[in-house]
Amino acid sequence: MATAQATADQVERIIAARSKTKIVRLLIFVVVLALVFLSVKTTIVDDTDWARIGSVWNVLESIGQFIGINWSLVPNLWQPALETIMVATLGTLLGVVVCIPAIWFGALNITPFAPITYPIARLMMTLSRSIHEIVWALFFVAAVGLGALAGVLAIAVRSVGFIAKMTAEAIEDLDPRPVEAIRAVGGSEFQVFIYAILPQVLPVMVGVIVFEWEINIRRSSILGLVGAGGLGLVFFRQLNTFNYPGVTTVILAILVLILFGEMVSYYVRKAII
Amino acid sequence: MAVSTATQASSDTKPAPPREWRRFKFPESLYRWGGVLLALVFVSYSIIYLNIPLDRFFNMFGRVGQLVADRYYPPEIDYVLEPDYLASVFDTIQMSYLGALFGMLMAVPLGWFGSYNMTPSRRFVYPVARLVTMSARAVHETIWAILFVTILGFGMMAGVLALTMFCIGFAGKLFAEEIEAIDMGPVEALRATGASELNVMAYAVFPQVRVAFTGIGIYTWDVAFRAATVVGFFGAGGMGWYLKRNILQIETYRVSAILVSIIVLVLIAEGISAWARARVAKAK
Repeated sequence: MATAQATADQVERIIAARSKTKIVRLLIFVVVLALVFLSVKTTIVDDTDWARIGSVWNVLESIGQFIGINWSLVPNLWQPALETIMVATLGTLLGVVVCIPAIWFGALNITPFAPITYPIARLMMTLSRSIHEIVWALFFVAAVGLGALAGVLAIAVRSVGFIAKMTAEAIEDLDPRPVEAIRAVGGSEFQVFIYAILPQVLPVMVGVIVFEWEINIRRSSILGLVGAGGLGLVFFRQLNTFNYPGVTTVILAILVLILFGEMVSYYVRKAII
Repeated sequence: MAVSTATQASSDTKPAPPREWRRFKFPESLYRWGGVLLALVFVSYSIIYLNIPLDRFFNMFGRVGQLVADRYYPPEIDYVLEPDYLASVFDTIQMSYLGALFGMLMAVPLGWFGSYNMTPSRRFVYPVARLVTMSARAVHETIWAILFVTILGFGMMAGVLALTMFCIGFAGKLFAEEIEAIDMGPVEALRATGASELNVMAYAVFPQVRVAFTGIGIYTWDVAFRAATVVGFFGAGGMGWYLKRNILQIETYRVSAILVSIIVLVLIAEGISAWARARVAKAK
């Protein structure tokens, strides 16, 4: 009897908890819906120039302008595409160099002096991730002038956050036994790093770097919009001369480039991990 | 015990041959060094090809420091506290909210169709869904913003649509990966009882991915907010427009204030998203 009573109590408690979560869920749902209506009203209904858009037909017409491929543009795309890949590669590599101190400071188990160096590294990572690549590019264009260097720097600074964060987390999860083993056979600190820490972290790090490289191709393809060369510049020129099929061509070229990047990244990651 | 005596015995009878230990043996080591060499050649070639002035790169640090100290340093904080700017911040939040929500609504079916194990048709639907997600992700959010501004005119609708495309690409891929990682047992059980594909989705797949989807959704909003801070740069509404205007007017103190406000807002958004994701994971 006592057990039956206890079970009944438990059941009641579970039912009570369920109805409570149900109410909470309903409330969340209502809030989400209300926010949707509010946001749709302010952003779409009030802020759109409906007269400029006109009818659905007009919209379809302006979309129709983009249909088609400007084949004569294709031969001129090789060089910017190569530039885009080069900017992405150099930016990623420079980003890896820059992120070494961030990783060293940002992994709690190897950071030299946690109360000061750890927050510095975290700040570096957050700064790098929170500012958009366009803004970084503008900043570096102001600092070093127009050209590919500004793009490389923007990409590098922008990649630091992600690479450093993932690698620092991998170092924090490190298995300490190989480190002890190398120390026990008399390895120097450098050898400990090369033979105990690096082999454990390298697969993660290379995976992250290749992934970031793939994202950086996407980023470097737009840096031309703010004066850093590559496919973005061609895109902008086509748009400014109202050559809409040319715009489509450039976008397709970017797509092909990114497909290529994804393939390379897939094979490299498969070869290393 | 037996193992240790065995190794001892073998080490007694056979002394280790004197050779240097290497991590990689002959063919593999060649490939590795070849790869490194190729990468180095590519890097130096790109530096020459892109015409990168290395001297300017090494002199840059002082210049950047001076630039920040001279022109950007005291950020004009009053500017970002003006009601106009605060309203644009509010608009940006709304844009990212709507973009993330619409994007996720589209990404759920795309994730379903684009997951190799659950897709209704591997030959037709799967590649199409993958292509749609990939192109949404491959085209940068600023390009989406420019395209929608060209079609629909200036305003936040273009921004919302650009963010929607961005979130389709971002969440669609993660959703598909999450569905590909599920346990197929319940799926087979439901199929064996004759359930329709929609029922299988609702009762076998969805309960397994519910928590992960919620987490991804919150993260998507976080990322969308970061993107939303700049879509205004190309006329798609929000605080990006203020950034562009002040950059064009060379109001550098205001620019730095806006940048500081973006960093603070992104930090807050990241904090909220981390807190919400932890809550969701705990409620599992």
